[in-house]
Amino acid sequence: MAEYTVDCLGEACPVPLMKVQKKMETMAVGDVLVAQIDHSCAMKNIPEWARNQGHNVEIEEVDDGEWEIVIEKTK
Amino acid sequence: MEKKTEQYDVVIIGGGAAGLTAGIYCGRARLKTLIIEKALVGGLATYTNEIENYPGFPEGETGLGLMELFHKQAKKFGVKFKLTDVRGVQLEGDVKVVETFRTNYECKAVVLASGGKPRLTGSKGEDKYLYDKGISFCATCDAAANTGKTVMVIGSGDAAIEEGMFLTKFASKVIVSVMHEEGKMDCNEIAREEALQNPKMEFKWNTVTEEFKGGERLESVVLKNLKTGELDDVKVDTCFIFIGYLPNTEIFKGIVDMNRAGYLITNEKMETNIPGVYAAGDVRDKWLKQVSTAVGDGAIAGYACEKYIAESEQFENQIMAGDLPGLVFVYNAVDPKARALMPVIEQFEETHAGRVKVTRVDVYKSEGIANRLGISETPCAVCIRDGQKAGTLAENISMESLEKLMGLSLVESK
Repeated sequence: MAEYTVDCLGEACPVPLMKVQKKMETMAVGDVLVAQIDHSCAMKNIPEWARNQGHNVEIEEVDDGEWEIVIEKTK
Repeated sequence: MEKKTEQYDVVIIGGGAAGLTAGIYCGRARLKTLIIEKALVGGLATYTNEIENYPGFPEGETGLGLMELFHKQAKKFGVKFKLTDVRGVQLEGDVKVVETFRTNYECKAVVLASGGKPRLTGSKGEDKYLYDKGISFCATCDAAANTGKTVMVIGSGDAAIEEGMFLTKFASKVIVSVMHEEGKMDCNEIAREEALQNPKMEFKWNTVTEEFKGGERLESVVLKNLKTGELDDVKVDTCFIFIGYLPNTEIFKGIVDMNRAGYLITNEKMETNIPGVYAAGDVRDKWLKQVSTAVGDGAIAGYACEKYIAESEQFENQIMAGDLPGLVFVYNAVDPKARALMPVIEQFEETHAGRVKVTRVDVYKSEGIANRLGISETPCAVCIRDGQKAGTLAENISMESLEKLMGLSLVESK
């Protein structure tokens, strides 16, 4: 169960979501991806997309206006 | 992975305007409060570019900006936030459980403020292009990516028209599909006038979506004319759907009472059918869904949680617990008949001091404790023995009948 990080700081939608989707394709079931974001719209479309795919999602607010979206690949 | 368990006084599901306000009230009442939000704190309001009718902001405010202020205020009162989605709930009983994929949160009261999600058209091909593939529900999110492009907006409500106008600042053309007759829209008059004058907006009247077409990404939307049945294949880069919302209540099905559309039913105290469970905001069956009404709901739900928890504690620690048998006098302070009995209760308390613990419960303030005791008529005396209701007396309340209820002999009482 590996853990990966994608740095999307300073990037606007839809770039963060596309980066996450690309990275998720290369991962195995059970792996965890941490997406670092600071653009609030990515807080909407990334969790929404990931949950739609059936993955587990949890978000940590690491700083004011800066978040880490933790996605566990389930299939 | 083993699940963790954490304890709170109140768990609020949903971090929109209603949930945040409930959080502010609970936090300020010094309850240990958790708000669980599945995405961005602020909820649906953050999807709106401009909020001009929320009192106190005469210059207007962005949805995101306003909600950041709510968030800050809740944090100031010590409210904790967890950004994840709720998987399930156990709401019956005194200890309620809210489950996320990692943690079970145990609490005494729950506020359901889960809001809604965008309604879909249900047309062919729609599911293939949702979100990043060409169908969007957030102009704020996706407007910049459509600079110089052609986009379509479905709907004619306030959200559709206002977001459509916002999109004209980026897109070269905004085509609006309206199901009504020419000139008729569901939005407010001011927005309608402005939209009709906007040179970048083009209206397709009497139309509904028939199909979403494309390859990997959405390429065109087929509109059907409701009058003529004619099909119109319109090339677009992105289609924005603003045709209303559906409540997020799937996980409450069969547990909390809801109407046919899935909205939760409450009374004016935001109480659902389950004691200690409240609903607030857009998830409720109500008439006007706005930030300002969500705030009102949230305030009531937060206050109700505080009252409910205080009553639970009073009920357990004062009424049902203790070594002595208890006499609970349930009365309504505005009822003269009940007030006339107060001296009798006082005399009883003095005579049997050290043998019986007497508690007075005024239903005028709140019916919560009377409900827990199963009392619907007042005045009424209830005997509590070993933490159980052992008897009630609703008629002819006197020194003698009270002593009989409590099983005290007259000799003993001298």
